[in-house]
Amino acid sequence: MRQDSNAYIIGFATAVCLVCSIVVSTSAVALRERQDRNKVLDRQTQVLVVAGLLEEGQNVSPEDVESLFDEHIQIRVINLETGGYEDSIESSTYDQRKATKDPSASRAAPANNAGLTRLPDNALVYQRVEDDAVQSLILPIEGKGLWSTLYGFIALAPDTTTIQGITFYEHGETPGLGGEVDNPTWKALWVGRQAYDSDWAPAIEVIKGAAGPVAEDPYRVDGLSGSTLTARGVTNLVQFWLGENGFDPYLERLRAEGSGS
Amino acid sequence: MNAKQKSALLDPLFNDNPIAAQVLGICSALAVTTKLETSVVMSIAVIAVMSLSNLTISIIRNLIPSSIRIIVQLTVIASLVIVTDQVLQAFFFDISKQLSVFVGLIITNCIVMGRAEAYAMQNPPVDSLLDGLGNGLGYSLILIVVGFFRELIGSGKLFGVQVLPLVTDGGWYQPNGLFVLAPGAFFIIGILIWLLRTWKPELQED
Amino acid sequence: MSVLRRLLDNVGDRLQSGGKLDHLYPLFEAMDTFFYSPDSVTTGTTHVRDALDLKRMMSVVVAALMPIVFFAMYNTGLQAHRAIIAGGHPLDTWQTRLFEAFGYGYTTDFWACFFHGAIYFIPVFVVGFAAGITVEVIFASIRGHEINEGFFVTGFLLPLTLPPTIPLWQVASGAIFGVLIGKEIFGGTGMNVLNPALTARAFLFFAYPAEISGDKPWIAADFVGVDGFSGATWLARATAEGSQTLGPIGGAQWWDAFIGFIPGSMGETSALLCLVGAVILIITRIGSWRTMLGVVGGSAATAVLLNLIGSDTNPAFSIPFAWHLVLGGWAFGTVFMATDPVSSAFTDKGRLIYGFGIGVMVILVRVVNPAYPEGMMLAILFMNMFAPFIDHFFVQANIKRRLARHAAGQ
Repeated sequence: MRQDSNAYIIGFATAVCLVCSIVVSTSAVALRERQDRNKVLDRQTQVLVVAGLLEEGQNVSPEDVESLFDEHIQIRVINLETGGYEDSIESSTYDQRKATKDPSASRAAPANNAGLTRLPDNALVYQRVEDDAVQSLILPIEGKGLWSTLYGFIALAPDTTTIQGITFYEHGETPGLGGEVDNPTWKALWVGRQAYDSDWAPAIEVIKGAAGPVAEDPYRVDGLSGSTLTARGVTNLVQFWLGENGFDPYLERLRAEGSGS
Repeated sequence: MNAKQKSALLDPLFNDNPIAAQVLGICSALAVTTKLETSVVMSIAVIAVMSLSNLTISIIRNLIPSSIRIIVQLTVIASLVIVTDQVLQAFFFDISKQLSVFVGLIITNCIVMGRAEAYAMQNPPVDSLLDGLGNGLGYSLILIVVGFFRELIGSGKLFGVQVLPLVTDGGWYQPNGLFVLAPGAFFIIGILIWLLRTWKPELQED
Repeated sequence: MSVLRRLLDNVGDRLQSGGKLDHLYPLFEAMDTFFYSPDSVTTGTTHVRDALDLKRMMSVVVAALMPIVFFAMYNTGLQAHRAIIAGGHPLDTWQTRLFEAFGYGYTTDFWACFFHGAIYFIPVFVVGFAAGITVEVIFASIRGHEINEGFFVTGFLLPLTLPPTIPLWQVASGAIFGVLIGKEIFGGTGMNVLNPALTARAFLFFAYPAEISGDKPWIAADFVGVDGFSGATWLARATAEGSQTLGPIGGAQWWDAFIGFIPGSMGETSALLCLVGAVILIITRIGSWRTMLGVVGGSAATAVLLNLIGSDTNPAFSIPFAWHLVLGGWAFGTVFMATDPVSSAFTDKGRLIYGFGIGVMVILVRVVNPAYPEGMMLAILFMNMFAPFIDHFFVQANIKRRLARHAAGQ
């Protein structure tokens, strides 16, 4: 058969496509399990870090991460609007970021200054449980900084207001300025401060300049030098997720339960 | 190894370096070189893709109908890149997360297509493999040098280990933010091209 | 003097080409022509050339800069003293110790301010100059050409664009980068695409932003925790809150900003003295009035347009043109940076367009970009890159027109 005949070209193209698709799909299927496990491990590691169970950048084997996570952390899915648990959704596979983009699992966000356009109907919360008692509530947060969307977690004590930690695991802020949101020294400044004021309105904010010690200045955190706008973004996004469209309904329930018991 | 094979392997290192002499593949060289680790992994990925794509295309070069040769090359390269990306996601998840789309973008890296079309289509498999390897190494050389300086100057680290103690941690080194940004890579590549052309004046066009 | 002549001759003979140390000849040549007029004469067909050579040109620019240099010293001290009077503290630096050793007080007295500012300005100037000249000397030696005066003006411009508190090692690294990347990489003085002083500043701005942006670096005093005292530049305050926080046009604050009694980079604050410099440069025809006019036109048009568009969320939209003029580096950049003959356009119409582009960009960066309150440096560097393209366009148009005229005449 001549190489420039249509039949040869079509035959050759089909053969190439067939071989290539077999190679690609084999590798995708064969590696799927490992990749999924990696993703889960990645998320688990971040949660463990903000819960204070792991040091940042600490080298731990995947098995240790899994056992540590299983031992101490409980994942729950909640309905953002009502604040109730949604146990019908499988929490270990629920992908909140994917759901945010899915029109059937999310809604348009109300006007906000955290730069969010859509909100998922359901959100994940991680609870650190020790001896059957919840020690920390770890809530996923996200929102606009100066250049990029920041993704992170905030950890609250069972009183739902004392901050135990904050972390941003993904952002594209200016290195050395806004990028300092992932500086451990700065993140440590949040620990012990109060997320809500005495009227249960979100109060914590990043200010310009230096805040006082935790006891005297519980609602304010030091600014990031040279990055007013990233700092403002952090304030906005944290306050949004603590607010009525964020986790407030859920935290409200917890408080009601807590005082009731 | 005969002379032709030797030059296929070694020329791309300096005389005909894909980045510094031909100025190809700049996009990924800017994007992935903030750290030495990501530079090295990206280099390995590109070397693997280039060698294998050159080899594959050279083996089937006499069978490819010339009217669809570009699309065939692209299919082969794209498949190899996807496989590489899958392997990275499975075995080097952290780094694959940092490299994000840039592994996938190897498909559009002009060097890979360029070598397939310019070399592998005309030359036997072993020569083509060496050419792919050589060009991959030439690309890697620049990537690793750029990654070395960017990580060292930009964060005072090498492979994530703090080698220059930072002022914020009580040391003396104040990291240079410019080198963390993409233009930092531009300046380093520019200086490398300048040095290369001073060393080998025959590369200067005029 | 003849001792010096003999010494130079003696050294010079050994450094002539072919000798062992001939790569040091440029260094010798620079010293030799500094002290004596060279005895070399043109041997080929004589060319009539403008009496205004590079050296004279640069001297005029430096003369136009001198009032700004002195004002920079005074104002640097003045701003520090005002901060200290408001309740701040002197910085813990050798400058403070030297200042106090001379027995001066932190008052707004002219000489106290001038002296205090001078001991901040002069080290920055000297370090920048030394670092830049060193790079020039090294390249002159490698390339075997004479050391020219190229760095002279850059050496004056650079410290004027920096805040007083900038660490000296950063000044040195900026100057080295500016000369290397801004100039030598393109082939040296006259070949550069970018303005070297601004290249140096841009390097520092992106490399060490904490020392050259934000609220802290502009005043050489520690004012943290002083109530009601802001170290931010007035431009930063205007872009964050609108210019009404500063006051009306023609009010006392506006005049302060016009004369230059505001915090900022050392040499940028006085629009008045930049205006004096502009007059000198235009009369001597060293700075192009077309470039300056272009910047004024571009800024005015953009500022008015943005005023009209308005914005509920961004108060910077409402800043009137008359405030833009006196804030930040607008005046200094327009007069001394945009007009740099090498990195600007060189056709007459091209200069108008080039200047207009700078004017549009500077207002856009100031108003629209949330991260950079100042846009002058970025606007000029950006248009520097377009200057050859603008020129190419006008040169080609000119060639076409002449060809058409030629064809019509036949």
